[in-house]
Amino acid sequence: MIDLILIFRILVFPGFTFILFLTLFCDWVERKLEARIQNRVGPMVAGPGGILQPLADFIKLLTKEDIEPRGVKKAVFRFAPMVAFSIMVFAMCFLPIDGASVLSSGGFSGDLIVILAFATIANFLLFMAGWASANPYGTIGSARVLTQFLGYDIPLYLLALTPAFLVGSLSVFEIAGAAWPAIILAPWAFVLFIITLQAELEKDPFDVPHSESEVVGGLETEYTGAKLAFLHLTRDVQVVFGSALVVTLFLGGANGPMIAGLEWLLQPIYFVIKLLIVVVISEYITTVVARLRIDQVLTGNWKILLPAAIISLMITVALVTWVYNPLSIGV
Amino acid sequence: MASNIDMISLLQSKFGEKIQIQPGVSGTASIVANNGLHHDVLAEMIAADEKTGIVAMTGLDFGQTLGVYYHVRTAKPFFTIKAEVPKADPKIRSVVDIHPGARFHELEVTDLFGVVFVGNEYDGHFVLSENWPDGVYPLRKDVDPTKVKLVPTPEREANLPAEGRQVKIIIGPQHPALLEPEKFSVTVDGETVTKVEPRIGYVHRGIEKSTESRTYLQDIYLVERVCGICNPAHAYGFVGAVEKILKPDVPERARYLRVIALELNRLHSHLLVLGHAGLEIGYETVFQYFWRDREPIMDLIELTSGNRVYGSLITVGGVRRDITAEQIPKIKSVLNDLRGKIPFYRKIYLDEPTIRLRMKEVGILSREDALKLSVVGPIARGSGVDIDVRKDIPYEAYGEIPFKEIVYPDGDVWARMNVRMDEVEESLNILDYALDHLPSGPIRVDVARSVPVGEAVCSLEAPRGELFYFVKSNGTDMPERVKIRTPTFANIPSFLKTAIGESIADIPSNFVSLDPCFSCTDR
Amino acid sequence: MAEKKSRSRISPIFKRALSHLFTKPATSKYPFVRPTLPPNSRGKLVYEIKACNEIDFECGEDFRFDIKSMRGSNCRVCARDCPAQAIEIVEVEGKMRPQIDLNSCIFCSQCVESCPRNAIKQSDLFELATTDKKALVMKPEYKHETGA
Repeated sequence: MIDLILIFRILVFPGFTFILFLTLFCDWVERKLEARIQNRVGPMVAGPGGILQPLADFIKLLTKEDIEPRGVKKAVFRFAPMVAFSIMVFAMCFLPIDGASVLSSGGFSGDLIVILAFATIANFLLFMAGWASANPYGTIGSARVLTQFLGYDIPLYLLALTPAFLVGSLSVFEIAGAAWPAIILAPWAFVLFIITLQAELEKDPFDVPHSESEVVGGLETEYTGAKLAFLHLTRDVQVVFGSALVVTLFLGGANGPMIAGLEWLLQPIYFVIKLLIVVVISEYITTVVARLRIDQVLTGNWKILLPAAIISLMITVALVTWVYNPLSIGV
Repeated sequence: MASNIDMISLLQSKFGEKIQIQPGVSGTASIVANNGLHHDVLAEMIAADEKTGIVAMTGLDFGQTLGVYYHVRTAKPFFTIKAEVPKADPKIRSVVDIHPGARFHELEVTDLFGVVFVGNEYDGHFVLSENWPDGVYPLRKDVDPTKVKLVPTPEREANLPAEGRQVKIIIGPQHPALLEPEKFSVTVDGETVTKVEPRIGYVHRGIEKSTESRTYLQDIYLVERVCGICNPAHAYGFVGAVEKILKPDVPERARYLRVIALELNRLHSHLLVLGHAGLEIGYETVFQYFWRDREPIMDLIELTSGNRVYGSLITVGGVRRDITAEQIPKIKSVLNDLRGKIPFYRKIYLDEPTIRLRMKEVGILSREDALKLSVVGPIARGSGVDIDVRKDIPYEAYGEIPFKEIVYPDGDVWARMNVRMDEVEESLNILDYALDHLPSGPIRVDVARSVPVGEAVCSLEAPRGELFYFVKSNGTDMPERVKIRTPTFANIPSFLKTAIGESIADIPSNFVSLDPCFSCTDR
Repeated sequence: MAEKKSRSRISPIFKRALSHLFTKPATSKYPFVRPTLPPNSRGKLVYEIKACNEIDFECGEDFRFDIKSMRGSNCRVCARDCPAQAIEIVEVEGKMRPQIDLNSCIFCSQCVESCPRNAIKQSDLFELATTDKKALVMKPEYKHETGA
């Protein structure tokens, strides 16, 4: 028996097509916001207000010549962008976008760890994509990507565990459905998570892998055509995924003031609104600061952010044990 | 500080009859010193005054001999040490051992004239392309560069990989950190730089040779196009040197208008590099803000001269266009807008944590190194050396306009950027004063098209540093020799020094802080 | 110069960036909006014709135009002084007239200054892009039918 509703959910809403268009929309929001902060107009010709610009860029890249230099590791070079993109979309499908995940279930206990693992695997595939290019700039760029995201993954996991401790479960569905969202109960973790997310998403001030003046193109140097289109799309989906993770863990997911009978409409709307708020905050931080040097990025991680994450976790656990649990908050 | 009288009498007492002193020729005085004496004369001058430095070196072709002129600048302006070598055996002693800053100048004269400097050898070409045949020296009078046949590129030592665990990374010629093509071979050990080898000459267009086949009037436009950003400075350098030979009576109003053109150029150039420095450290927002504020200045340049970039205002005998009384309030309101924005930018440089992290303690150039390498412009003033041609040798109306000289002692990238920021404010003050005190009268006088025999030097403060022109005329309406020494040419050796020991990630911001302009370097 | 101590250590860019979201962007939307150039901008060269005639050259059209009141004479100063050697003297109906090659012209207006009879002037047309290089050579030609 073919379950048409399941196929619809996977392919159209809130599955693949929805995520794709949400990604393109968030890209437009980012570019327009950055342009306005810099006192210029941003995309404005393709579609009303330039909203079709990311789609136009994607299609343009698909029409360009796809060059494969001699000496690259063919299998990795060809499939890494596509596989990375697929894994990110797959990870995104676990988040409860409209109250339930794409597979129409309440998730399973422990899927927080699975989601974070998928994100790490996708990042690792991006590193391999750059490593497989036979280009010194690609090698340097991808080595920096690896150093950065592996380092910042540790505080990311620790901080992602904070809402789990508050709720007492490792299932994103239950974390999103908690009575008090984690931003109220543990705001320090929210701030630290946003900073760590900037580093994971390789945005300013942790923009080192993309710094043109040092590594030309970084891991994208040898990519052209359709593969480059998917690399860019993977980067955009990472942004959406990171912001969706923040929304689910800290901001209460798709919940909000509900009107009975209209949940199917209001829940996705709340989710998207909260997502856009997080995207705006992240892009604002990107625009107003400069880029740090690689050694300053590493100092920031190992000497500042990791101890801060550990302390934040300890404070949260202490609060949960002695304050929240006796008062039955957050269950 | 020794005054020029002391220098002349000092040299006369030390060397007596072996040298010949021509006062008033090519600067304060020219000293003819052959047979290797130039080295000792220069050593005496350096010992007498710490601010002595070689500004430029000109090569000349006299037919049977080649002339090598050392233009030396002490605390007071120029002395020229003239030496001659026969064309058949053009060997001369190098002065690199007493003044390392002369290295680039000597290599250029070797490339273009064939003079061999004993003690300063270089494998390959320095300014000419690798395809240029050896033994053909383009600036000699008997060589026609259009008829030279190029050869295939030979293998040079600079292209070999480094030994051991060191890695050689080549930055350029095409690279996003560089505006114009130049090649820097950077040898790194891990992340620390150990050696930098430059290869300049990618934008060499042979402008100095081209000036010899055009009239003086046409040459003004030619030398203007050496550089797009500092083009009035080049035009003024050439015109100033020619006017020192012709000695016309330039009207007062023209002097003030020239100052206005030069200061507007300084404004837009400093705003450009301040924005570009932001871009290199990844701060695109500050880049967009600076360039947005630069646009009204470009509109002002278009208002006064008719064109946004190549103003062509300055000509021999005065200026070509006037500023009317109706234009002055418009100009002043734009300048006041810019003045209102400066405190914001100053606060960013002071308070923004990422700027401080990227720019402080980076690329430090000590005061002794700055003096030894004779760097000029904001790089020298950012290292505590107070040289500014507008104050030391006041030209045009700068002697009558009060303004401050900006010096910061730190010597790092942050100090140089702050020097430029403060200079923006000083330029606004100078412009206000000049516009308020603009004298009335004619704006140009007629001059003859042929220039009598003579030679002169002219030095001015371009936005990037001291720009130096040497013009030698032979009685016709085409010059005999024009020598241009641009500020970036003098400043690149300092980059080779400051990059060593730093991380390779600092190279872009270090590099941009010396405000490189390779069109100027290569000519 | 000592570092000036500022009162607050928070960079002003945070507030300024937010405030820019509500201000008009500084971009001028060329080519939808044409810029107004200041007078005496150095654009395309024109020969002087009667002051009341409007000069309007479309891109791609031959740049021939009426020189009814052409006042250029045979002095050749413009060709001699041009730094880019873009002016060539050609014969038109028995008279020698300058032919200006806009491919080489650097728009410096030295010819405007040098001409002793003010026969060459500059307009402010700067949109001269065309796909045919030959169309950019301004040939002087008499058209005996002139517009008023």
